Amino acid sequence: MGKVGGFIAWERIVPGKRPVGERLADWREVTVDEDPAETTRQAGRCMDCGIPFCHQGCPLGNPIPEFADLVWQGRWSEAYRRLAASNEMPEMTGRLCPAPCESACVLAIAPAELRALPTGEAGGVPSLVLPGAVTIEALEKAIAERAFAEGWVVPRPPRVRTGKRVAVVGSGLAGLAAAARLNRAGHVAVVYEAAARPGGLLRYGIPDFKLEKHVLDRRLAVLEAEGVEIRCGVTVGAPDGPSWEQLRAEHDAVIVATGAPRARELDVPGRDLGGAVLAMDYLTEPRRSSVPPAASHDVRGKHVIVLGGGDIGSDCLGTALRQGAASVVQIELQPAPPPDRSPANAWPAWPLVFRTSSSQEEGGVREFAFRTTHLEGQDGRLVALHGTRLDSGAAVRLPCDALILALGFTGPTATPPGVALDERGNIATDASYATSLPGLYGIGDVHRGASLIVWALAEGRDAAIAVDAALRR
Amino acid sequence: MHDIALLVGYGAAAVNPYLALDTVTSLRADRARYVQALEDGLLKVMSKNGISTVQSYRGAQIFEAVGLDAELVARWFTGTPTRIGGIGLAEPGDEARVRHARGFAPGADGLPVGGLYRWRRDGELHKWNPATVATLQDAVRRADRTRFDEFERLCDDEERALVTLRGLWTIDEPAAVAIPLEEVEPVAAIVARFVTGAMSFGSISAEAHETLAIAMNRLGGRSNSGEGGEEAHRFEVDANGDSRRSAIKQIASGRFGVTAHYLVNADDLQIKIAQGAKPGEGGQLPGAKIDERIAKARSSTPGVTLISPPPHHDIYSIEDLAQLVYDLTAVNPRARVSVKLVSEAGVGTIAAGVAKTHAACVVIAGYEGGTGAAPLSSLKHAGLPWELGLAEAQHVLVENRLRDRVRLQVDGGLRTSRDVIVAALLGGEEFGMATASLVATGCVMLRKCHLNTCSVGIATQDPALRAKYTGTAEDVVTYFTFVAEGVRRHLARLGARTLGELVGHADRLRVRPLAHAKAARLDFRGVRGVPAHHVALPRSFARAQPWDLADHLDHELLRRADATISGGAPVAIALPVQNSHRAVGTLLSGEIARRTGARGLPDGAITVALAGSAGQSLGAFLVSGVTLALAGDANDYVGKGMSGGRIVVTPPAGARFAPESNVIIGNVALYGATGGELFANGLAGERFAVRNSGARAVVEGIGDHGCEYMTGGVVVVLGPVGRNFAAGMSGGTAYVFDPAQTVRALTNMDLVELGAIGDDSDAWLVRELIAEHVRRTRSPLGGRLLDHWEAMASRFVKVLPTDYKRVLAARRARPASAVHLPVAG
Repeated sequence: MGKVGGFIAWERIVPGKRPVGERLADWREVTVDEDPAETTRQAGRCMDCGIPFCHQGCPLGNPIPEFADLVWQGRWSEAYRRLAASNEMPEMTGRLCPAPCESACVLAIAPAELRALPTGEAGGVPSLVLPGAVTIEALEKAIAERAFAEGWVVPRPPRVRTGKRVAVVGSGLAGLAAAARLNRAGHVAVVYEAAARPGGLLRYGIPDFKLEKHVLDRRLAVLEAEGVEIRCGVTVGAPDGPSWEQLRAEHDAVIVATGAPRARELDVPGRDLGGAVLAMDYLTEPRRSSVPPAASHDVRGKHVIVLGGGDIGSDCLGTALRQGAASVVQIELQPAPPPDRSPANAWPAWPLVFRTSSSQEEGGVREFAFRTTHLEGQDGRLVALHGTRLDSGAAVRLPCDALILALGFTGPTATPPGVALDERGNIATDASYATSLPGLYGIGDVHRGASLIVWALAEGRDAAIAVDAALRR
Repeated sequence: MHDIALLVGYGAAAVNPYLALDTVTSLRADRARYVQALEDGLLKVMSKNGISTVQSYRGAQIFEAVGLDAELVARWFTGTPTRIGGIGLAEPGDEARVRHARGFAPGADGLPVGGLYRWRRDGELHKWNPATVATLQDAVRRADRTRFDEFERLCDDEERALVTLRGLWTIDEPAAVAIPLEEVEPVAAIVARFVTGAMSFGSISAEAHETLAIAMNRLGGRSNSGEGGEEAHRFEVDANGDSRRSAIKQIASGRFGVTAHYLVNADDLQIKIAQGAKPGEGGQLPGAKIDERIAKARSSTPGVTLISPPPHHDIYSIEDLAQLVYDLTAVNPRARVSVKLVSEAGVGTIAAGVAKTHAACVVIAGYEGGTGAAPLSSLKHAGLPWELGLAEAQHVLVENRLRDRVRLQVDGGLRTSRDVIVAALLGGEEFGMATASLVATGCVMLRKCHLNTCSVGIATQDPALRAKYTGTAEDVVTYFTFVAEGVRRHLARLGARTLGELVGHADRLRVRPLAHAKAARLDFRGVRGVPAHHVALPRSFARAQPWDLADHLDHELLRRADATISGGAPVAIALPVQNSHRAVGTLLSGEIARRTGARGLPDGAITVALAGSAGQSLGAFLVSGVTLALAGDANDYVGKGMSGGRIVVTPPAGARFAPESNVIIGNVALYGATGGELFANGLAGERFAVRNSGARAVVEGIGDHGCEYMTGGVVVVLGPVGRNFAAGMSGGTAYVFDPAQTVRALTNMDLVELGAIGDDSDAWLVRELIAEHVRRTRSPLGGRLLDHWEAMASRFVKVLPTDYKRVLAARRARPASAVHLPVAG
C-alpha cells in the first residue's frame, strides 16, 4: 500500500517540461521523462484507500492502488500487467488523459492551489496543481515506457482462433482497443480506416508535442504482430468502398468507431472569407513531424485567432506558436472558470476550474466571455475579428489574418444507413453497445459524442467483451 | 483464515491447505510464513472467543449461520443455529462454476481484484462507496434535501442488492392508513432518539470528536465519548452556548480516564461489554496516535500503545454487572446506565439479565459499520446483523415481561430514515449512526484509522493532518435533521403520530419478493412479529427501575461533610460498616466531583473511619480529599476506578493473626484506578490493580493476574504474587519483595522486564511508600522491612514494561519541551 505516511513525507511532483524556448523550436514532446526513483516515491504516496475514489474517477476503472503499490515495491513488470489488463494503451493515457482519477484522488480533497510547478521549467507560470493527488497519469506513462523499454510488451497472438470475423470501422483509439481485445480472444479482427494511415485523431488530430507518432506506430506494430489486420484508405459506405451491408454480410459483427468529426461552425457574417480554417483541417498537417507544414495552413508571421478555449483550441495555439505566428489570441465564449471548486462542484467530481495547458504556458493571449459578432475582410481576405465582451458589453476589433475554429464537434458525419440515432445524432446503443441493427455495434465518439480518449479505450474494451460474449452464445 | 477456524471449530484435528500451500510456492513466497500467519490467525480467533487452548476450541462449534438452509445445517453443521434458512448445496456449486468460468475464460487477463476489503468498481458491493460517500457529503454541506433524498435512494437500492437483512423487507405502508405530515411529531422529538457511535478521543482527533459532541448537543441527541476519557475543559459550556461534552460516557474494559469527574458529567453511562464490529476484542490505540493530550485524557504515557483487555475484569457474571451498574448509579444518580451488547445468538437472554441489573437501556450492536482500525480478521465472518439481535432481544424481553423496564438502542451501519423505521419496528427505541455521522464530517473511508495518517484529519493526531479537517457541527446537524425528516415522512405514511407508536410492531414488515436464487428460501418467520399470545404484553419502555440508593451509607457522610465540601473545615467521621453497605464513598465522591470539579478537595479534608466488613466496591471512584480508613476487611472491588483520595485497610482492632498472611481485601481491587492511594495491611485477592493507570498501592501479597494491563501508577507488593503477573502491562512500575525468588516464574514476560531497585530515586520511592504504609497501617511486615532496609532493598524485584522504559528513557534524554508533541489549543 505504498509507504505509510508517504504522502506526508513527499509532496506531489509532476514530471517536468522542457523550457518553453526549447519546446517552441521543435515539435517534440513537451514533457520530460521522470527519474524512476522519483516515480517510485510518487507511487509510494498512494495510500491504498478503503474507497479508492481515483479508481471510480477513471472511466477505465484502472486498478490504481494496485499498480501504484507494485511500482513502489519495484515490481514494474507486474505493474504493467495489472495496468494493461484494464487499459489497452497506457502509453496514450499516460500522455493525453486529463486524469479525472487525479482530481478524484483523496489527497486532492483540499482546495486546489495555484502555484508554480515545482520543476520551475514552465518559466514560473502558475499552473493548477492539485495539492496532493498521486501523480497517476505520470505513473501510467512511466510504467508503459518501462514496459516497452524492457521488452515486456510483446505480441500475444491468440492460441486458438474461433473462426469468427469482426470488422472494426475506424482506427482511432476506440476501434484499436476493441480490435486488440477481440483479436486476443481469438476472433479475426479487421480494421477499416478511411485515412492513409491508422490511428484516427491520435495521428491526425493530436500534435506531436503531446504525442510523438512513433509511440503510436510502436503500438500498432504490436497489434499487427498479434494478428490485427488494418486496411487503410478504405471508406466504408463510400462509392469506392465496401457498403455497410457488404461488411455486415462478410463479418459476424461490425463495430462502428468512426468518431464524431462534424465540426461546430461559426455562424457569423464573413465566415466565408479566406483565412478561416477548421481546427481539424489545420491540425491534420503539422502534427506529423516528419512532414513539413503544408503552405496553405502555415501561419508564420500571421496574427492568429483561435476560437475555442478547449483542448483542441490549445493544440491549435501550440501549433501556431511553433509555426512562428506573429500573435495568437485564444478566445473562449464562456467566462473564465473560478480558480477553485464552487460549492456545487465538490470533490470528487471533475473540477470545473481555471486551467492552463502546456500550450497556454508557451504564449498567446487568452480571452474569456467574448462573443464573435462578425469577421472583417479586405479583398476577400480576413483582416479582423469583431466581437463583444460579455461582461462589459464593449465592442472589440481584433486584427486577424488567420482564424482557426476549434468550437467542438457536433457528431458523426456519416452513419450506416438505417441505424437508429439518438436525439443528438449519435448512434444509439444499449448498454452492451449493440445498435438497432443486428450484429452492428457503436463505440467511442460516434456513440457518445466527442469525448476523452480514456472513454474511447473503455468503450473499445467493454464492447469487445460484449461482442465476444455475443459471438460465443 | 476463516476456513481454518471453521474446520477446526467443527472438529478437524489437522488441516492441510495444499492448494494454498502450492499457490504460496508458485508465488515464490515463504510457506513457513503462511503457516505462521494461519496459526497466529487461529490464535486470534480463539482469543476473541475467550478460548485459550486448541483442545477447547476444536469442535466447540461456536458459530452461527446466516442464510444457510436448515436441512443443510442439520446434515453438515449439526447443531449450529441458523435462524432465517437460506441456500443449500446447489447454490455454492453454481457459484463455484461461475468463478471457474471467469478464471479460465479465453483472453482473461488475470483474476479480478475482488474488492473484499477495499471497494473496487467491479468487485464486492460495499455500502460505503464513492457514490454514497460523495452524495452524503455534498447533501449535508449544501444542506440540499434533494441530494439527501438521492443519498437515501442510493442506500436503499444497495440494500435491495441483498447486502442486509433489512434490504430484503419492505415496510407495509398502505395508503389507507396515511395521515397528514403535520400531525407527526416534530423533528426535535425524533433527533432526541439519535446517538453517534462510541469513537474515542484518541482514535479520532479532538476536532472530530468535539464536532460530533457539539452537533448532538445542539440537536438534543447524544454523542458518545468512546473509551478514551474526555478532557475536563469540555464539561464547561462554550461562550456561544455550544457544549463539547459527550452526553454518553463510555465505561469500557480499559477504563481509560474513567474518573468520578468524568462520570458525573454525563447523562448516560454506557458499559461497553462488547463492540459489534469486532466482537471479542477491546480497543487498540497505537502509540503513534498517543500524544501528550491524548495520554492525559487517558492517564497513560505518550507514545505507548494502549490495548483494552477483551473483558471487564470486574464483570464475570450478571451479578458483577449489576454491581457495576450500582457503582455507576451511586457516583452519578442523575445519569442512566446503559449496557452495550453485540448481536449474537443468545443476546436475548443476556439482555434479560441486563434488564435485571437495573440498567435503563440495552444497546444491541450489529456487525456492520465499525472502525477502519478493526483488524481484517474481524471485518468478515465476525458478529451478526443487528436485525437478528434486536429481534431476539425484543422477543425475550417481551416474553419475560421485562421490556418495559429498559430502552433498546441499536447501532451498526444505520444510515437512512428507512433504517431507523425498520429498527423501530423490530423494537429499537434509540438509534446510533456512527460511520454516517463521521462521513458527514468528511470521512472518506480510507480505512487507515490505525496508521495515524488520516488525510482528512479525523482519525489522526498528526497536527498537520488535523489542520486539514473541514467537518462542521452544522453538517452533522443537517445530516441528523434530514434523517429525522425522512422518518417523519415514513411515519405519516405509516399512520403513526410518533415513532414510539411503532416500536416493536414488526408485523408491519413484509418480505420483498426475492428474485435472486440465493434468497429464494429465506424464512423470516422467526425474526418478525411478536408471537400472538404475547401481543398484549408491553413492547416498549415504560418506566425506569434504577437502583434504590435510599439506604446508602453515604447519605450520612454527605450530611456531615456538606460544609467541608463547600469549602469548610476538615471533618472526621466515624461509622460502623457492614457488608450490605456497597460503594461506600462513591455517592460522596460523585457529589464532590460535581461541586468541586476535577480538583476534588485538599488532602485530609474528609476522613472517614469505618469499622466492620465493608461491602463491595469500597471507595469506588473515590476522589481527592477523602480518606477511607477501614478497620476490618473489605469485599471485592476496593478502590475500583479511584481517581484520588486514600483507602487504608487494617485488621480489626485486637486481631491476633499475622496480617501479612491473611486476606484483607477481595478481588479486583484498584481496577481502572487513575489516582489515589491504597494501603492494605494484609493480602489482596486476584486481579489486583488491573488497568491501574495512576494509583499508588502497598499491599502485602496478591493473587493471580496482578497488575494486568496496567499503564501507570506504582504497586508495591510486600509478599507473594500469583500467576500471570504483569501480563499486558504497558506502563507504571511494580516492586515486589521477593526473598524466595519466585517472581520471575510467576510473571508474564511478554511486555515487561525484571530488574533490581536501581538508582536512588527508585529506592527512595519504595522506601517512602513502605514508610507511609507503616504509618497508616502499623504493618508489622512493613516495619521489619524498614528496620533492615539496607539488606531488604536488594531483595525487591522491579517490574517495568519494556516500551514504557524506552519512552521514559527518551524523555529523560531530551529537554521536557521537546518531548511534548505540538498540540493545538
